[in-house]
Amino acid sequence: MAHKRKKVVIVGGGTAGWLAAGILATRFESDGVGALQVTLIESPDVQTIGVGEGTWPSMRSTLQGMGISETDFIRECDVSLKQGSRFNNWVTGESDYYYHPYSLPSSYSDVNLAPHWQAVRDQVSFADAVSQQGKLCDHGLAPKQISTPEYAFGVNYGYHLDAAKFAQFLKNYCTNELGVGHVEAHVRSVSSMENGDIKAVVTDTDESYDAELFIDCTGFASVLIEKHYGISLNSIKQYLFNDSALATQVSYETEHDPIASHTLSTAQSSGWVWDIGLPTRRGVGYVYSRDHVSDAEAENELVQYLVPIVGRKAATEIDPRKLRFSPGYRQEFWHKNCVAIGLSAGFVEPLEATAIALVELSAKMVAEQFPENPAEMAIAANKFNQKFTYRWSKIVDFLKLHYVLNQQDDDGYWQQHRQIDTVPESLQESLTRWRSKAPWHLDTPYIDEMFPSASYQYVLYGMGFSTNVSELALRGRAQAQERANQLFHENIQRTKQLLSSMPRNREFIEKVHEFGLPKI
Amino acid sequence: MTNYVMLNNDEHKDLRINTSHSIEMGDGVNFAMTFPFEFRNAQAHYPIFFQKNTETGRFYPVALFGFEPNENLFLNDQGWGAAYIPAMIRRQPFLIGFQADESEPGTKKAVVTIDIDNPRVGKESGEAMFMDHGGTSEYLQEVTQNLELIHQAHEHSDNYISTLLENDLLEQFSLNIDLEDGSAHQLLGFYTINEERLQKLSAEVLASFNDQGFLMPSYMVLASHSCLRGLVDLKNQSLR
Repeated sequence: MAHKRKKVVIVGGGTAGWLAAGILATRFESDGVGALQVTLIESPDVQTIGVGEGTWPSMRSTLQGMGISETDFIRECDVSLKQGSRFNNWVTGESDYYYHPYSLPSSYSDVNLAPHWQAVRDQVSFADAVSQQGKLCDHGLAPKQISTPEYAFGVNYGYHLDAAKFAQFLKNYCTNELGVGHVEAHVRSVSSMENGDIKAVVTDTDESYDAELFIDCTGFASVLIEKHYGISLNSIKQYLFNDSALATQVSYETEHDPIASHTLSTAQSSGWVWDIGLPTRRGVGYVYSRDHVSDAEAENELVQYLVPIVGRKAATEIDPRKLRFSPGYRQEFWHKNCVAIGLSAGFVEPLEATAIALVELSAKMVAEQFPENPAEMAIAANKFNQKFTYRWSKIVDFLKLHYVLNQQDDDGYWQQHRQIDTVPESLQESLTRWRSKAPWHLDTPYIDEMFPSASYQYVLYGMGFSTNVSELALRGRAQAQERANQLFHENIQRTKQLLSSMPRNREFIEKVHEFGLPKI
Repeated sequence: MTNYVMLNNDEHKDLRINTSHSIEMGDGVNFAMTFPFEFRNAQAHYPIFFQKNTETGRFYPVALFGFEPNENLFLNDQGWGAAYIPAMIRRQPFLIGFQADESEPGTKKAVVTIDIDNPRVGKESGEAMFMDHGGTSEYLQEVTQNLELIHQAHEHSDNYISTLLENDLLEQFSLNIDLEDGSAHQLLGFYTINEERLQKLSAEVLASFNDQGFLMPSYMVLASHSCLRGLVDLKNQSLR
């Protein structure tokens, strides 16, 4: 009994399915907790969405944990390095910008630089005062050198990647190296046990696959969590209005054009345009609210965005893919012996590239909490649902933060985003406190928060928010001010040093293709 | 700046090469690339480590001459104070260059090039390269042999490094050096061979190391560690 192999069936391929498969297969491989037999059933007829092309720095440890060579990953998935996001025209809509970099402010664990920065806010942006990354991005430089070992960094980074190639790469790795079973078939029906657990899924080839745990990675189709179990979505449209997207790809003018090492996010009339630079192309798309702009008008705005980049002719010739979605997340992610991971669990605009990060976190938690016996199932499900409901509520707060402080001269979309009844209460409370206290560790009480309080600082102060620290709070802080000044000074020095030593992002990627990254 | 041109027995017939060693001659360097074929000779005098080429991230072996940039503790009034001088130092001011081979289109042939702006190159004194009637001097023949040796050694050295990496034998190390004057130095960015893992290689792998000429150099690297003591002594002497 103790040595019986536990079985997991994942329904659906794509980034979510294969990433979950890899994480589950590796976790149990290395722990020796008990071998887990992972089988992934993928429908040959279903196209993957494949628009999630930005990752968080967490992807580095995820890939490394699976035993994947970073060099192979970069070469095979059309990868470039991402150091954060640049938000253009979000504040006033007139040539303003700010960065949300991946690196934490200097000495973040023990010093809160935000109150000290308020005094010099007219001279230097918050991101530039506390981090080097905005400047590196401005200059198109990479976060590491070719001699830096795989997964190590000069400054923190994640990736931009080709989602289709990534899924294929993971599929090969999972099936060849990790012993994941792969079935190409369409799941037609589900057979249940008396207690409501899924006993097996049955394919259109009349094969039946039983397992202890089923993972729904079927994307918007949500075959198990919604169609079988009828778990509905909590809508978040009252906070985050975007429900449509137009996605396209454009070429570089020459193969030597710089590759941005950050995601560009540019505000439009009724949403924003993402612009993700891969080595061989840019992925560009407009995510917008259909209540505020028609598809045709949206396409025109996307074309206008592209004109300065690819020229009028190429811009007007695009044939963007249209996506519709209901922003929201499941009322339960883990129900009975079924867990939804990926788009089946929820979907929101990719403003902070949360989609793939949620897949990593979900799969890691399932791997860690994997129920060893039926009695553990409901407990694990509860823990998981609590954790991810909290995470989604924080995602809503954090994404809404990008919108609520806008000063756009507009009486539609942007004005509505400022209205108090479109702001979650938890965020309203935080904003009230942040008027007198800069975000700090108490704002993010858990050790595994998705967004550290530093992220709130970057967006808050990037959007021009003021924290008026009271005289009382400042009393006796002379020593802290001295330390802060020293850190500001060190950041200037370190920025200079990195600007002169880091290679251009494209040059770095070319070198990875030519020489590979050292393992040590 | 260097200025390499193809060596030519007409244009360069009057040039002479100063073969002495000094800072003025450009020997003020704290390390030089070395090759497995000369590890046996090099380890008698210099610690041998591995470091990364900053342009490619690839490893290569070096012989260490000092602890700071431009510090060569082996240079003294009499020249270079060690019986063996690494090939990459001795090659100066020459380098192998490549030129399209007219007899075989599409291929390249190796040619000797000379850095005519190198301080070693002059007309007054030193070794002549060409005889009065245009033939090559014994000195130039030695130079050419050394260059060929280096040229051939590159590929072997690259294979050697790849094999070390494949077998997980390289590891980073840092070394703190306390000097008599109370100052401390730290050697960073160097890698060496993990002795324990080398000893644990299977008989099969060891045999293949031996066949490819990788075994003896590996032990030479380990043996070279004892030269660090001598290097520290030289450094202390220079401070007195």
